[in-house]
Amino acid sequence: MSDKLLEINNLYVNAEEKEILKGINLSINKGEIHVIMGPNGSGKTTTANAILNNPMYKKTSGSISFENEDITNLKTDEIARKGVFMSFQLPEEIPGVSVVNFLKYAKNKITGQPVKIFEFKDELKKCMEELNINPEYMERSLNVGFSGGEKKKNEILQMLMLNPKLTILDETDSGLDVDAIKTVSKGIEMFKNKENAVLIITHNTKILHSLKVDYVHVLVNGKIVKTGGQDLAREIENEGYEKYKVEE
Amino acid sequence: MKKSNIEEINRNIYDIKNKDEYDFKIKKGLTAEIINEISNQKNDPDWMREFRLKALDVYNQLELPSWGPDISELNMNEIATYVRPKSKLNSSWEDVPEDIKNTFDKLGIPEAEKTSLAGVGAQYDSEVVYHSMKEDLIKQGVIYTDMETAVREYPDLVKEHFMKCVPVYDHKFVALHGAVWSGGSFVYVPKNVKVDIPLQSYFRLNSPESGQFEHTLIIVDEGASLHFIEGCSAPKYNKVNLHAGCVELYVKDNAYLRYSTIENWSKNMLNLNTKKAIVGKNAGMDWVSGSFGSKISMLYPMSILNGEGAKTEYTGISFAGKGQNLDNGFKVVHNAKNTSSVVNAKSISKNGGVCTYRSLVRINENAKNSKCTVSCESLMLDDISRSDTIPTNEIKTDEVEFSHEAKIGKISDKTIFYLMSRGISEEDAKAMIVRGFAYPISKELPVEYAVEMNNLINLELEGAIG
Amino acid sequence: MENLKLNETPIRTARNFNINNIKLENIELPEVIQDFKNLKITGNDLKIDINSRKSNCNLSYGLGDILTNQINEKSNCNLKIMVDKKENKETLIEFNFDEKNEGLIDNVEITANEESSATIIIKYNSKSIQKCYHNGIIKTIAHKNSNIKIILVNLLSTISNNFISIENQLEESSKVNYTIVDFGGKNSITNYYSNLVGDYSENIVDTVYLGKENQLFDLNYITELKGKNANVNMEIQGALKDNAIKHFKGTIDFKKGSKKSKGNENEFCFLLSDKAKSLGLPMLLCSEEDVEGNHASSARKNWRKRIILYYE
Repeated sequence: MSDKLLEINNLYVNAEEKEILKGINLSINKGEIHVIMGPNGSGKTTTANAILNNPMYKKTSGSISFENEDITNLKTDEIARKGVFMSFQLPEEIPGVSVVNFLKYAKNKITGQPVKIFEFKDELKKCMEELNINPEYMERSLNVGFSGGEKKKNEILQMLMLNPKLTILDETDSGLDVDAIKTVSKGIEMFKNKENAVLIITHNTKILHSLKVDYVHVLVNGKIVKTGGQDLAREIENEGYEKYKVEE
Repeated sequence: MKKSNIEEINRNIYDIKNKDEYDFKIKKGLTAEIINEISNQKNDPDWMREFRLKALDVYNQLELPSWGPDISELNMNEIATYVRPKSKLNSSWEDVPEDIKNTFDKLGIPEAEKTSLAGVGAQYDSEVVYHSMKEDLIKQGVIYTDMETAVREYPDLVKEHFMKCVPVYDHKFVALHGAVWSGGSFVYVPKNVKVDIPLQSYFRLNSPESGQFEHTLIIVDEGASLHFIEGCSAPKYNKVNLHAGCVELYVKDNAYLRYSTIENWSKNMLNLNTKKAIVGKNAGMDWVSGSFGSKISMLYPMSILNGEGAKTEYTGISFAGKGQNLDNGFKVVHNAKNTSSVVNAKSISKNGGVCTYRSLVRINENAKNSKCTVSCESLMLDDISRSDTIPTNEIKTDEVEFSHEAKIGKISDKTIFYLMSRGISEEDAKAMIVRGFAYPISKELPVEYAVEMNNLINLELEGAIG
Repeated sequence: MENLKLNETPIRTARNFNINNIKLENIELPEVIQDFKNLKITGNDLKIDINSRKSNCNLSYGLGDILTNQINEKSNCNLKIMVDKKENKETLIEFNFDEKNEGLIDNVEITANEESSATIIIKYNSKSIQKCYHNGIIKTIAHKNSNIKIILVNLLSTISNNFISIENQLEESSKVNYTIVDFGGKNSITNYYSNLVGDYSENIVDTVYLGKENQLFDLNYITELKGKNANVNMEIQGALKDNAIKHFKGTIDFKKGSKKSKGNENEFCFLLSDKAKSLGLPMLLCSEEDVEGNHASSARKNWRKRIILYYE
């Protein structure tokens, strides 16, 4: 049994005709937490979207595999059903679809099993309490009228309920206050186990204060320019990206 | 999981054609002779016969509307305006002829009657074949019967109200209705009686090249309340059918009426229907309307807020697919102090369908301190469809809070991607968004109808997107 | 004396809503008019040709045949304005009505060449007790990347008749920005039509009207979006007191091909009297999927204090 979950191989991606990713390589194993850091515009969000094959981003070469299966050109929903989840930087609002109905529907699609409504609601309620979300929110329309922080917490809630093998957190920590960041970290800790993996995409280091990570990758101008451990994050926190921009 | 199974059954339900069997079908066309014959067949009292003939005169004087969808294909010489089914009015389903009963069975009417309704009326072509109401309501003095019985048994109540709220001069098809009306329901709720469980009338048109002209007259007396549901459907034929019903609602002081409609006429139907309510002091009138069927629909329910503090709400959705032109909307007249209205209209156009929201808000000089809030949202599911918003707002007093908002747009690619990233296919994502879009309307319906509406949405979306 | 039926909306609605057109009774249409002499142009950097008689205008909409024909047959002041540079001084064109100049039938044609830009102010002034007649056309063709600002000021007396037809043709990436100050006229009837054929073209209209006495404003603004990524923004605000009446008919029409276009329409009317009347018909017509259209209109009470300041 291989421990390998995600493997990105020399990936080039365009967004709106412009080349954003210029040869990304990344390998994530079960049980690992990876961080991709980089300045604005370096290609972080593009990386996340490319993994889930967002049609607005065009892959020009390279490949992505998940559990040794090529997912480069699979549809987004197929990739999600294989066990990849993404927490969105700007989650969409879905008027008229309640949080509970949405999650029940998604869970059914992902597991292919019927969802037992009472057990599901109990579990949902428990998760909401852990994440300091008012359980009444489960009947509200998904993300409609939620504050920025509430939307982010709702993403973490979805991650816990859908229980993917790989979760990608795209700027989940940005714009959050200290308490909310703690809640998100708590959610990640609740989620994390030996069988799954986390890829955190961020431009700041706040979340890394309360979370132990295995690998830190520095992404500048569409390329990973350095990979290291938690120390590298600390270095970036102190010195910024200037050094790597110069190298580029 | 093959979701289309349920929907296949549903589609069949609406499309079941019984043989065109009838007890009497009047010859096609519209002449004084034909009107007299209808009166003979229906044993009209003299005043009603005269009323019909006068309405025919008005019909002949009035012109077709110079606006809205093109209805020139309607040729009254090709429409039989009266078709009496092979059934008398019954108060037990057992007595309804089998093929007719089967139709209503498949539409779920007797079942709904058992579980969630206080009374049911069922019309087949031009006559009501079944009418029944729970015993306790009868004891409280509630009247729920077919319109013909009401003309015979409650002549004073009927004369006082019949086509007074909607006069025959309103427009050409109201005049037509006045001349050939048949069937429909009459409801009277006495003072302070609250009818907690809905009454429902269902209208089924089976006969080809014919029309249905039912008349619904509801009087909710002072302090009383009622929820009335109207359903309609027909199987599809190649030539046009016509529906020109008329609904007159009197909501007296401090009374409340909710009028819900799920309309799923076949796509050869011209639905030229008229609905109006007169709302008294501190009374409430709520309209909930789902419009899915018909080839052409021109339907603008109207609330006239005549009493101080009267309130009205309209919640409506139209869903136009291939070959459909649904010109729907709402009219409200604020005619007294402290009145308020809330309009929430939605439309979905796909596969070449045309949706128009057409409305009138009139706030008169005497409607001081009134409020009106209108919100319209239109969803375009492709670029061969059409969606228009044509609202007229007339404001004649300074003491008013009025606001109107309209939006038009498509389902965003970002939203679809978001849902797909949760394992939901593109087609299911779109259907989910559309159901959510329609939710403010479906939540206003009793649960079975909300389910029916969602099934209709799934049915309409199937194959159209994805 | 003529009875006129003017300013038809592009799509009709129910006749008894009384908004498909405006009917004016007993309007005096001048038969023979002297040349309009009291024209003042300041700050002119543009090429302006002035002549009278014989104009030849083709309008897609206009107010109606009678008035359009009057301009073609009897105009007494025609301006042809050519904008061909990037930098121009603000140009002020004033039509000053007086005892010798009581009627103006004018045709103003503005052509903005590629990459040009200009600001043109057109003002109609009269004495408060003078009865004037004005029937005019302002037609603008904005070529690629041009940028034209037009400020139209109607300060005619409240016993005058003011008829204006405006048409704009917008080519690729052009901008036409209209500010309309509509104060004058017993009847002030405006037809405004913009044809956004060019991709990335943009049309902004800001209108303010103030109605008093027995003034009637009938504003029929029609914008058709045909190019991709086109943009329309209409803001119409005003106040009505006494017996003043305002009709605002605003149409945003997304034609096939106008993908990724946007249209916004905002109307706000302050009613300051119980006899004033506001009639609105903000239409959104759409036969293209990937567009964004919004309109909002509102009327509120209790604006007296702020608005009253605007009136003398």
